Amino acid sequence: MKQVLHIFAKDSRRFWPEILISLAITAAFTWTYPGQWMHSSSSYGFNAVAGGAFYVLRAMVAATFLVLVPVSWWLLITRVIHAESLVGDRQFWLTRPYDWRNLFAAKVLFLLVYVGLPLFASQSLLLLLAGFHPLSWLGGLLFNLLLVAGILIIPLFALASVTSNFARMTLTLLGTLIALLAFALLASYISRGSASTPYEDRISLPLLVCFCVAAIVVQYAARQTWLSRLLLIAFPALLVVIGLITPSDTALIRRAYPRPSGPQDQIVQISFNSDSQRLASASAEPKAKNVLLNLPLRVSGVADGYAVTPNDVMVSIEAPNGAHWISPWQAIYAQNYLAGSQDSYVAVSISRAFYDQVRSLPVTLHLTFALTQTHAGKVTRVAMPAHRFSVPEFGVCTPEMAWDRSGFTGISCLAALRRPRLTYVSVLWSNDQPSDSSGPPDPNTSVQGAGWAGNLASDPAAFGITSVWNIPLAISNNINRADQGQPWQPRYLWPGTPLTFTQYNLVRRAQADLSIPAFTLPAYNRMRGHVSVAVIPHAVGR
Amino acid sequence: MSHAIHTDGLAKTYGKTHALSSLSLSVPEGAIYALVGANGAGKTTLIKLLMNIIRPTTGHASILGVGSHALGGRHFERIGYVSENQELPEWMTVAFMLDYLRPFYPQWDRVLERQLIRQFDLPLSRKLKQLSRGMRMKAAFASALAYRPSLIVLDEPFSGLDPLVRDELIEGLLDRAPETTIFLSSHDLAEIESFASHVGFLEQGRLLFSEEMSVLSARFREITLTLDAPAALPSPTPSHWLQPEISGSVIRFVDSNFQEEATSAELARLFPAVRDISLEPLSLRSIFLAIARTDRSTSETAQADHQRTSA
Repeated sequence: MKQVLHIFAKDSRRFWPEILISLAITAAFTWTYPGQWMHSSSSYGFNAVAGGAFYVLRAMVAATFLVLVPVSWWLLITRVIHAESLVGDRQFWLTRPYDWRNLFAAKVLFLLVYVGLPLFASQSLLLLLAGFHPLSWLGGLLFNLLLVAGILIIPLFALASVTSNFARMTLTLLGTLIALLAFALLASYISRGSASTPYEDRISLPLLVCFCVAAIVVQYAARQTWLSRLLLIAFPALLVVIGLITPSDTALIRRAYPRPSGPQDQIVQISFNSDSQRLASASAEPKAKNVLLNLPLRVSGVADGYAVTPNDVMVSIEAPNGAHWISPWQAIYAQNYLAGSQDSYVAVSISRAFYDQVRSLPVTLHLTFALTQTHAGKVTRVAMPAHRFSVPEFGVCTPEMAWDRSGFTGISCLAALRRPRLTYVSVLWSNDQPSDSSGPPDPNTSVQGAGWAGNLASDPAAFGITSVWNIPLAISNNINRADQGQPWQPRYLWPGTPLTFTQYNLVRRAQADLSIPAFTLPAYNRMRGHVSVAVIPHAVGR
Repeated sequence: MSHAIHTDGLAKTYGKTHALSSLSLSVPEGAIYALVGANGAGKTTLIKLLMNIIRPTTGHASILGVGSHALGGRHFERIGYVSENQELPEWMTVAFMLDYLRPFYPQWDRVLERQLIRQFDLPLSRKLKQLSRGMRMKAAFASALAYRPSLIVLDEPFSGLDPLVRDELIEGLLDRAPETTIFLSSHDLAEIESFASHVGFLEQGRLLFSEEMSVLSARFREITLTLDAPAALPSPTPSHWLQPEISGSVIRFVDSNFQEEATSAELARLFPAVRDISLEPLSLRSIFLAIARTDRSTSETAQADHQRTSA
């Protein structure tokens, strides 16, 4: 232990400029990041344009520091590991009585003190500033520190331990980043669909940590540089092998979302809404290989107290001439079905060549949905105050003031360490500006609004340099479009208006089918940089 | 006699290059062993193998009774190592380096440290990177001697130093000699001749000999024979005759196995008509040159024979 502290003290003395730079950047990040939490330009108390510009500037500065924090770690880690370089045969320490365990422990201690502790302090302070008590989130804070260590610190440590100087480390890091980018591009090129499966990747990070730690220990214990480098190269190779032997998205979705055993087992009924004002439409980029087909749907049959989230969809098309095409699974974003009948839509991507081939024929569309059923759990009702308020197990929310300070036109929320559990937020909008006396708005002029936030993940924290997450809360019906010819008016949340936060918990996953016979595919509009959807006057359905 | 260093069939290859070929040597405790050889002969490779800085391809070495492959950590509390191409912590001042290293060594002698600082006239407040090459070497020596190591290993310690600094370092080293074993490499024969007790000669990765200096000096003589009339060299020429040459009635060679009585008898038998015999002791440099030239000539002949056979 004495030797550990001795080496640590030497490194602290030698690298005080790098330590100071890293601490200053972390402090600057902690100071500027809360600027991102201010959503309304009028929060600054001066005119909207200047306020907006100031907000953007602060957000840019905060984003810059967010990037600079890991960059400063890269500098610090590289310098301190290379102080007793493990590569080469001329280093003075090789023939001094260094115990490799002590040297390794000294470096780990250095990183704990000058990377881990400042990050912990920064994250705790951000939590405090956002309205969360850090001690209540200690588990999540430590879990996030582990994630940061596994994703950033340990890999940087491993790269530094197999390189001999700063230039080589930098080149290796750049090479690694380029290889990662190329790998991601290749993976997205090979993957045909965009399916999201409920199976989280629980292998890659532990493997990354194991391989990096093995490489580091081999270097410190035996200075077998090539063996350590091989270990680091073996990790992505192993990931590729795992990727090759992992079942396809189709198989994973089939496993995660079982088909209903009968009509009574269905968690939702989905039908084609041929009466919808928003009729089927299609669009395509000029050189795109796919056409995006939008289909209006009618959703019903969700049991009271339940919600159903469509996660993926797969479409197959059969033409009367025998032509047949089947899509890969495609992700569906930001949709949730509640009890009762409701209109919805689904957008599916279809091969342009096939689309053109069967465009004039009445085809049969068969859609299969991968769905997640959730059940309403804890409900929190809040009479909205005019200032920041806390919603247990969700986050800290702030009413957003309109730019002209005419009233609150939305809510912005912050969550600690991760997105909150899947939550349904309902509000009561008023068409009128709030009166002087606070309280719930007049029910006769009120409109219900709702939105979803969060996810079903169960980890205590998600990876982040910051410990506070901005939670976008898009609440429906926030604009009053009632008067034809009049400019749209915002709706208001009065102080005292009831807000309901309903947490939803996973029940099960299942598939649902929808067949649309004799469907004529609409002509698609060619998009040029922006989306313009052609509305097709006739779509034969059901 | 116990050995501070012992190697057995130690070899190191880099691809097809044999940096060191099956080297076996022993350095007795208390010796001042000088490993000499030209640049690229393999001296630094051998020292790095001994210090476990690099690993041997084959063979084994033990240092102070510890296998070189296991050498590390606390073993270096008894070993002082200084190399001409060692990367020192140049950001440290001399004082900081000594302060930093001191706790690593339980046997660190503060009195000796102060003595070495005085002896080498070390500027304590100067950073190592600001020091001259000679002064840096002195600082390295001080940091390697102050804990009274049982074995001092020096790789070309005096290379490129001016004579004054060299003498100061040798003096500092010899002060420690009674209590330690010194193993040093050099390509400068003159500088080690005055104080080495043992010497080994490395040539292209092969150890041509390794023995005590006194024995070495005693068994080498340059012999000049003046005959009554021109004569030929005996065939075959004795293998211990190095660089034999004949010029009219004068024959000259280096005898690598000189023993006064036996040599006289052998010469009388081979050259009955000898008029005069001159026996000259050789300097270390001359011995090495004779051995190296003979070795190269033998290698070239063997290579030519091999090529002829192959053709």
